[in-house]
Amino acid sequence: MTGTLLIAQSAVIIGGIGFLVGIVLIWASIKFAVETNPLVEDVIGVLPGANCGACGYAGCSDFADKVVSESAPIDGCPVGGFDVAKQIGSKLGQEVIEAESIYPFVRCDGGVHCIDKIDYVGIDDCRAVMMISDGEKGCSYGCIGRGTCVRACPFGAMSMGDDRLPYINKHLCKGCGICVDECPNEILVMASESDSVHVLCRSHDKGKLVKSVCEFGCIGCRICAKNCPAQAITVTDFLAEIDQEKCTDCGLCVENCPQKSIVPTSPALEAAA
Amino acid sequence: MSEMTISGEYFRGIIKDNPIFALVLGLCPTLAVTTSVENAIGMAGAALFVLLGSNIMISALRKHIPPITRIPMFIIIICTFVTIIDMVMEAYTPPLYKALGIFIPLIVVNCIIIGRAEAYAIRNNVKYSIVDALGIGTGFLIVLVIIGTIRELLGTGAIVLFGFKLISIPIYSDSPATFMILPAGAFMTIGVLMALVNYNRIRKLKRGL
Amino acid sequence: MEEVSLFAIAINGIFVKNFLLVQFLGLCSFLGVSKETKSATGMSAAVMFVMIMASTAAFLIYTYLLQPFGLTFLSTISFIIIIAALVQLVEFIIRKYSPPLYRSLGIFLPLITTNCAILGVVILNVRLEYGFIESVFYGFTAALGYTMVMLLMSAIREKTSVLNVPAPVQGIPHAFFITTLLSMAFVNFFGVIPT
Repeated sequence: MTGTLLIAQSAVIIGGIGFLVGIVLIWASIKFAVETNPLVEDVIGVLPGANCGACGYAGCSDFADKVVSESAPIDGCPVGGFDVAKQIGSKLGQEVIEAESIYPFVRCDGGVHCIDKIDYVGIDDCRAVMMISDGEKGCSYGCIGRGTCVRACPFGAMSMGDDRLPYINKHLCKGCGICVDECPNEILVMASESDSVHVLCRSHDKGKLVKSVCEFGCIGCRICAKNCPAQAITVTDFLAEIDQEKCTDCGLCVENCPQKSIVPTSPALEAAA
Repeated sequence: MSEMTISGEYFRGIIKDNPIFALVLGLCPTLAVTTSVENAIGMAGAALFVLLGSNIMISALRKHIPPITRIPMFIIIICTFVTIIDMVMEAYTPPLYKALGIFIPLIVVNCIIIGRAEAYAIRNNVKYSIVDALGIGTGFLIVLVIIGTIRELLGTGAIVLFGFKLISIPIYSDSPATFMILPAGAFMTIGVLMALVNYNRIRKLKRGL
Repeated sequence: MEEVSLFAIAINGIFVKNFLLVQFLGLCSFLGVSKETKSATGMSAAVMFVMIMASTAAFLIYTYLLQPFGLTFLSTISFIIIIAALVQLVEFIIRKYSPPLYRSLGIFLPLITTNCAILGVVILNVRLEYGFIESVFYGFTAALGYTMVMLLMSAIREKTSVLNVPAPVQGIPHAFFITTLLSMAFVNFFGVIPT
């Protein structure tokens, strides 16, 4: 084949392929055009951008999308909190009222106060421990203390204390709730600032067993329930649970608990205690 | 813009911007062709040819390439040089061509070449683009030869270059660890080397350098 | 051209000549995407789609446009144009019909263009002189092999993320060591299909 014919044919074929491809892509860019609402971009700009999924949607852009289309609440981003909600509100022209901030609460006082049942050697993670017959501590319901929650926190707001219980730095905590999901024993729960008392136990074991393994565990003696003027406490299966809506902040349960399982968390009661 | 010197840019391509250890690009050919030092040198040579050609051409045309079409333009320019070296190697170095196999045409999607075009050639003049290509090419060659040496020496007990047996480990070469020639050996070698590079980096950071 | 059975192609594509662990194709994106199962699945799906379409289109172009005119040296450049166009098309479609998937894939979608696996499969189809059905099927099974290794890798990486790995080994070297073990397992398949 002669040189010029070769060059001509190559040019035509490659040029032709390129041209056709160009046409197809132009058509596609029109056919599959996506209307971007500039408002969504505005909202994305205001969001913290952590993509943590605490809002329940697939990342910040998804939440922004849903907020603009009004299927998500404006204050749905717990990480951004009231600040971000207010900004979103101003972009959408809506008023936002401040909601109470929530923090994770550790419902266990075991840690070093609860004896170890076995000498665990393995992956240093609470979820791994819970895969091995009820965990390593005497109380199978309690906090294992190996820090799965601490590592799960995307904001570095948690740390493991010397007493082998997690501690939450309220300044860094954004209330995303990921630690609550990660804990294999459901020790953590999101509680609001206004809750005044909490039961620091999750054990449904019988009182005698609880006392033999843990210093502060709830034994299900019902003293708190009997003394509560608002009848906010119910004891089910040897574990006391407080209905925060009914609680009147009187602190009687705290005084009367023989195990010191109930602690005050509102500033007023804490000062009194 | 800080001063650029020819030697500065050249050595930057070898150490600070080493394509495999610093930029972590171009892993596919690195692991595939380092079964022997000869193949390693061959691949590095082919890649250098393409890198030089594309850097020069893109740098010469840099003022005339519209930004929105630059990636397709890069690919087409790089493709030209890859096709050239592919045909040249098929004709003049058949055993090397056969050994490198599909990795010669795959140089066109080697992230190193496109990466340099995007990061360097499009915004610097031809002289420095040549130096950059030489530097990156040398860096690539050094890494390939290191890995090739380790794999060939431990995997076959000897290094054979262009028909000449360079080194041969006496007792070991009777039953060498063929594992090193296998894909698994490649992964392990580069894993260990990268860990060493990281260790060095962490040590430097700790010293505050 | 010998007749190659589809079964042999499947075993080759998925196990014996696995693209990631044996042929070293597609490694660049492998390390980045295999950290989480979610992105691994998304990337694998996109790769499978592009591989099948690219195999089809490339075969047609090679057989009906390049071979008759004796312009087979243009194969590399025409293939890369087709692949780039297909990836752009896939990007348009995903962006329109599944925005969350589009956002989670992020930069990986355009990165499939430079993924050696796609161009690799297409060039291999040519070099192994496969017919139309064989070419498309090879694209499909190569993608299956890719998916399998991606999912294995992401599962292992997710589970080992809780381990205490020494600082220099964290990240890429750790991934390479896992890949070494996976690759060693696949050595067992060598020789299953005689070459």
